[in-house]
Amino acid sequence: MTAGDERAGTFAELAHVQLEKPGLRRAIGSAMDRFVLNRANAFAGADLEAMRAAGEAIRAHTVARLDSYLAQFAEAAEARGVKVFFAADGAEAVEYVRGVIRDHGATRVAKGKSMASEEIGLNHALEADGVDVVETDLGEYIVQIAHEPPSHIIVPAIHKKRDEIAELFNDVHHTDLPADPPELTRFARELLRDRFLSAEVGITGVNFAVADAGAFVIVTNEGNGRMCSTLPKVHVALMGMERIVPSFRELAVMLPLLTGSATGQRVTAYLNVIGGPRGPDDVDGPDEVHVVILDNGRSRLLGTEYRSVLHCIRCGACQNVCPVYRQVGGHGYGTVYGGPIGAVLTPLLDGFERAGDLPYASSLCAACTDVCPVRIPLHEHLLSLRRDVARERAGAAERSAFRTWSAVWSRPWSYRLAARFGRAGQALFARGGRIRRAPFPLSRWTSGRDLPPIASRTFRERWKRTGHRREPGAADGR
Amino acid sequence: MDADAFLARVRSGLAGVAPAPLPDVHPQTPASGDGRLFDRFAEELEKAGGTARWVSRQDLSAEVYEAAVEASASTAVVSDDVAEFRERIDRGLADAGCAAAPVSREAAASADLGVTGGVVGVCSTGSVLLRATPASPRIASLLPPAHVAILHEAALVPGFEELFDVLGEQLREANAAVLVTGPSRTTDIELQLVRGVHGPKSMTALVVREE
Repeated sequence: MTAGDERAGTFAELAHVQLEKPGLRRAIGSAMDRFVLNRANAFAGADLEAMRAAGEAIRAHTVARLDSYLAQFAEAAEARGVKVFFAADGAEAVEYVRGVIRDHGATRVAKGKSMASEEIGLNHALEADGVDVVETDLGEYIVQIAHEPPSHIIVPAIHKKRDEIAELFNDVHHTDLPADPPELTRFARELLRDRFLSAEVGITGVNFAVADAGAFVIVTNEGNGRMCSTLPKVHVALMGMERIVPSFRELAVMLPLLTGSATGQRVTAYLNVIGGPRGPDDVDGPDEVHVVILDNGRSRLLGTEYRSVLHCIRCGACQNVCPVYRQVGGHGYGTVYGGPIGAVLTPLLDGFERAGDLPYASSLCAACTDVCPVRIPLHEHLLSLRRDVARERAGAAERSAFRTWSAVWSRPWSYRLAARFGRAGQALFARGGRIRRAPFPLSRWTSGRDLPPIASRTFRERWKRTGHRREPGAADGR
Repeated sequence: MDADAFLARVRSGLAGVAPAPLPDVHPQTPASGDGRLFDRFAEELEKAGGTARWVSRQDLSAEVYEAAVEASASTAVVSDDVAEFRERIDRGLADAGCAAAPVSREAAASADLGVTGGVVGVCSTGSVLLRATPASPRIASLLPPAHVAILHEAALVPGFEELFDVLGEQLREANAAVLVTGPSRTTDIELQLVRGVHGPKSMTALVVREE
């Protein structure tokens, strides 16, 4: 991704910072519990497995023919008067949007939620041009004025408590608002209403583009997506190139999968279907509608074993169930996409140099895979990425150490010898049945985890002494 | 990037990728219909925080009056796609002391109530599909804090499958459409539900039965 921002630290460093924050873990954990419960209720009584199978099949079909569906969409959308731009990377997408804004002499932008815009660092680029960009999704607005990145795909400010938000509003707007969600929301409504009415350009994301119709859909609950795509003279929609379906028909399955997995809703308050700019007799609607289709590293994944990561519909369900995400939140990752999907996608798009540590930010428990509405094998991808990272990263010393390890453990006599030496050596480090600190290079393991010591008598030794007889005290199988 | 070059890059990435079949038959989803029409529509819309009424043409004035009073509306915008009910709507608004105006940006931005038509009612979700056309501007259902949508009984369909079967057709004569389900809402602060963020705070659907 071309966000240009270096990560503020490694996962280990950032996660430690998050873990120190009082109450954060409980706040995220209980919010995620709510999401998990809402999702279960949303699909209660439905054959969720059949839906997931259909979702996977629709996504696999579409991505395998992505070139023709994109061509079909572009042609149909252009016939409806939409301007379609294909952006090879983030820089091209940013440049295009800057151009649109320049052409209209615009200085005020109202922005709806868009992960793609986060991915390409759009706000920073526009602000550098002196354009006043305001995020209009309530959660996005909160993190914007706090100068923080979103911490969750669906609820970007989930890491903030109501009193922090009240304090933030009061600091920024010199108000005296109570820490009351309805009051804070009412204030934001009035503030952002002015922005919607005065903005010259609206920028949104895209949930699904519909290839044969040349239209696209945006789901929102707040209505800010409607505002951004209706009131400003120009509407620019950004989409990752994989966010497409063949026809409206597929949306009958894909939308309930998306909203059920994301917020536990059967449908969101608003499902916006955008098919082009206003006609000559229309009272409202934008004069221009632009769709920016973003590659930004995605086409590199098409021919690889990781292609299915492009099936993702950005519901956030994998984050909600992830034991790692639930501890550290989105900010622990230091990347636009957090949680399991982020740990797979970011290294693939940004490279191992920048995000090679993320595939390790997982317990490989596979809860993400089980919950994914389009059945992306996320934990398998994480494991494969670890293999790839190791292949690229492991130095000569590490490689020869593992070769030696493998050789030693492949022969009974050397294995026995190693256990004996290890037991003698560990006496210096083992405390209370655990090794908490070991010398380099084992310290790289023990800095984050304990190491179980070698038993005082190994299984082999015990077997040798007692043969198949049961030892006293183990007779009942305890 | 040039579109052809972009697509060529995608195509070469897909070289050797086996085609995967598109499923012909889709499973039922929570948004599929269950055969019921208005009862289900009302039940689901109420769950979403909206109100549904089953009305005759004669009832319309009284229902519009009630909605206007409920919203404490002194001004309303009324879109042209409900022209066939216009007289009754105007009477209801007048009785409530509410002045009606045609839809313009200025009028909609300051109105307390927006009255529009609806082209499809989805019963499994309690949703109303509105088309953006010259007769039915989007702002009438977006800017005022209260929204009343009037639709014919015949517009009710069981579920999402039936909606998406006709959506392409509906969009052919419109540049946009929106499926509205209840009032605008957010849970962005500590997941507490708050209704009425950017869009309307209340939403009422009047389903006019055939006589």
